[in-house]
Amino acid sequence: MAVTVSRFGRRLLGVVVFAAALGIWEAWARSEGSFLVPPASAVAERAGQVWPTTDFLITVAASLKRLAAGFVIGAGIGVAVGLMMGSSRRTRRTLEPLTEFSRAIPPIAIVPVAIVLLGLGDAMRIAVIAFAVCFPVLVNTIEGVRAVSPEARDTASMLHVSSVGRTFRIYFPAALPCIVAGLRIAVAIGLLMVVISEFVGEGDGLGRYILFQQSQFNIPEMYGGILFLGLLGYVLNRLFLLAERRVLAWHYGAAGGPAP
Amino acid sequence: MRGINQTGIVRRVQGVVKRVNLAGWLFVVLVAGLLEAAVRLFELQDSLPASSATLRALAHGILSGTLPGELRTTLESYAEGFALAIVGGVVLGVAIGSSRTLLDASSVVIEFLRPIPAVALIPLAILFFGVGIPMRRFLIAYAALWPILINTLYGVRGTDRVLHDVAETSGVTRVGRAVRVTLPAALPSIATGIRVSASIALLVGVTAEFVIGTDGIGSYMQRQQLAYQLPELYAALVLIGLLGYAINVVLRATEQRVVFWVGEERMAGR
Amino acid sequence: MIASAPAVLRVAQLGKRYSSEGPAALSGVSFDVAEGELLAVVGPSGCGKTTLLRLLCGLTPPSDGAVLFNGRPVLRPPREFALVFQDYSRSLFPWLSVLRNVMFSLRGVGLPKAERVVRAETVLEELGLHGVARKYPWELSGGMQQRVALGRALVSRPEILLLDEPFASVDALTRAELQDVLLRVHGSTEGRRVTIVHVTHDIDEAVYLADRVLILSPAPGHVVRSIEVGLARPRAQTATRSSPRFLAVRNEIHVVIAARQE
Repeated sequence: MAVTVSRFGRRLLGVVVFAAALGIWEAWARSEGSFLVPPASAVAERAGQVWPTTDFLITVAASLKRLAAGFVIGAGIGVAVGLMMGSSRRTRRTLEPLTEFSRAIPPIAIVPVAIVLLGLGDAMRIAVIAFAVCFPVLVNTIEGVRAVSPEARDTASMLHVSSVGRTFRIYFPAALPCIVAGLRIAVAIGLLMVVISEFVGEGDGLGRYILFQQSQFNIPEMYGGILFLGLLGYVLNRLFLLAERRVLAWHYGAAGGPAP
Repeated sequence: MRGINQTGIVRRVQGVVKRVNLAGWLFVVLVAGLLEAAVRLFELQDSLPASSATLRALAHGILSGTLPGELRTTLESYAEGFALAIVGGVVLGVAIGSSRTLLDASSVVIEFLRPIPAVALIPLAILFFGVGIPMRRFLIAYAALWPILINTLYGVRGTDRVLHDVAETSGVTRVGRAVRVTLPAALPSIATGIRVSASIALLVGVTAEFVIGTDGIGSYMQRQQLAYQLPELYAALVLIGLLGYAINVVLRATEQRVVFWVGEERMAGR
Repeated sequence: MIASAPAVLRVAQLGKRYSSEGPAALSGVSFDVAEGELLAVVGPSGCGKTTLLRLLCGLTPPSDGAVLFNGRPVLRPPREFALVFQDYSRSLFPWLSVLRNVMFSLRGVGLPKAERVVRAETVLEELGLHGVARKYPWELSGGMQQRVALGRALVSRPEILLLDEPFASVDALTRAELQDVLLRVHGSTEGRRVTIVHVTHDIDEAVYLADRVLILSPAPGHVVRSIEVGLARPRAQTATRSSPRFLAVRNEIHVVIAARQE
């Protein structure tokens, strides 16, 4: 017998399970009372008190500012170099060993290098974020440009588009869906790097907040900070998904393909 | 008629040059050379090490056993955590992905936990596990779990329904089906997830070492930075980059052999 | 008659191989195209028809021989040429509206924008596309998209129009419509007659449209026969296709191709 469960019902199941998990956490935390695992209610309570305060919001804003700066720089470089490498086989082959190697370096390893070159402040952080953001964008841009159809390339030749013109007027728009997907991945990485870069050096920011709360053994606040970070990541991801869908739609129509 | 041998030799050399990507590696040498020149000419030794100094530090570090030692420490917790994540991620992924109910039930929990970056949990992990190997193992496993889990789910859900139907009517048990049909069919997605996880796991592991500063190559780098030993710092950087690159190459090669049917399918579909 | 018009396109001993050890796609292809002629090229799949077209356009360099346009060798796409592909969905730019796609050809010609718009709109109207200027290619049907592609090719008033199986991806009814559109374009007495090279696998289409049909052999492709169609213009779908001459020519082509395949 086939049982049709509505979409709402399915979502409800997920929510119920989630609530149950929270409930178990709460019950266990209250009974055992482990210092390191505060009840969910305590975390929520503290969060409700801390999150709306100006101090906290200013701290978050500082992190977001760094993220924005590093993201713009990193993505800009990634797209520019990606367009060059995607459109010319020779350029790609020449730059490939260097980019593949640089890409494999965990961005954390760049932190000490950045500290030596730029000190312990925001310049260092933005540089690290830019470095980390650059590569996913680069890789996706190259992929997007390479995926441009041979017909589009031939058309560009036939219509006498200069190579510069070709890159901006054909390859870039054609690769845009791929590029935006890369930007979405890069944002998540960028957020990660903001937090990591704030673990070291001086200054403010969400990462520093989490670390500080830990050092002060303010456990509920620490959990709250981590959760807020997760929330931030979720919101940013959703925003970019929306952007991605719009770019894709403008490419191919809401149906996701050419009309029959 | 032109000299055939001459053309043949020229062509063969060209072929080798292309395969080895001489131009690419020459470019790397060029950049290193420029760096060397810049540091010497502009007296930048305080901010940047000359390429020759870095190479010397690299050689010394490797030969003296310091770097390999630190690397081994890093790789230990890395390998353990990564292996845990693969097993956990694939088993959970197949189990949850095969059942609509389980998928719906866990969806909110997964969506909630997923955006939390593993590195943000470093302070938390320190409180729970201290600063030793267990902490790093946990962190790496947690970080590596998510891409594998998500990709496994994606692979399982995305499997052609026809394959599932064939399996169901073939009289194989549920577990048998999961192992012999669902798992192989999801393998391409899983492979991608593993590859992504590998770099994330390395990143998280090295980060944890850097922040805690006891052992492993991450903490080695932090010490070199504090001591302002620039050539040693950059040498470690090069080594980590090579490590990440090597891991990627190995995984790709393994992927191509294990999931050998993917290239063909894609070609046929196109 | 057409045959006495000067040869605007001359192909001499054209050959193409893609790899030094591999088989040749084309070998020893030679033919002329007279000014204003509509030449169809047919042959079995894999005989290098598309390769030939790309060589004619200058998109690929030949391995042997040459393509001459008004006496000059074609080394890169000349401005006087225009190309229409089979897969319109991959050659029209999806991020530009229909009008902008057509106007794209007129960049770099030195016309003020207002005039470019007018020319593009005129071409669209002439091809029977009304009211679609602001739409996007993917909002149109296949037949309409192919007309847009044709419009983009025609708006720059090319001397030579090359088409690579342009009607293969549309249904039979649309195909008939588009064939007549092409004939209208060719037969237009405004200015000089455009020279057309039309590659197709559809023999009936070739005979219906062309002044002359070139038959290519399977790889390595070369010209097997050149057949004068000799049907009166203007042509009509039903009348022309049922005429004795039409059937004779088409049968002859079928026979030649079948013979080559043994």
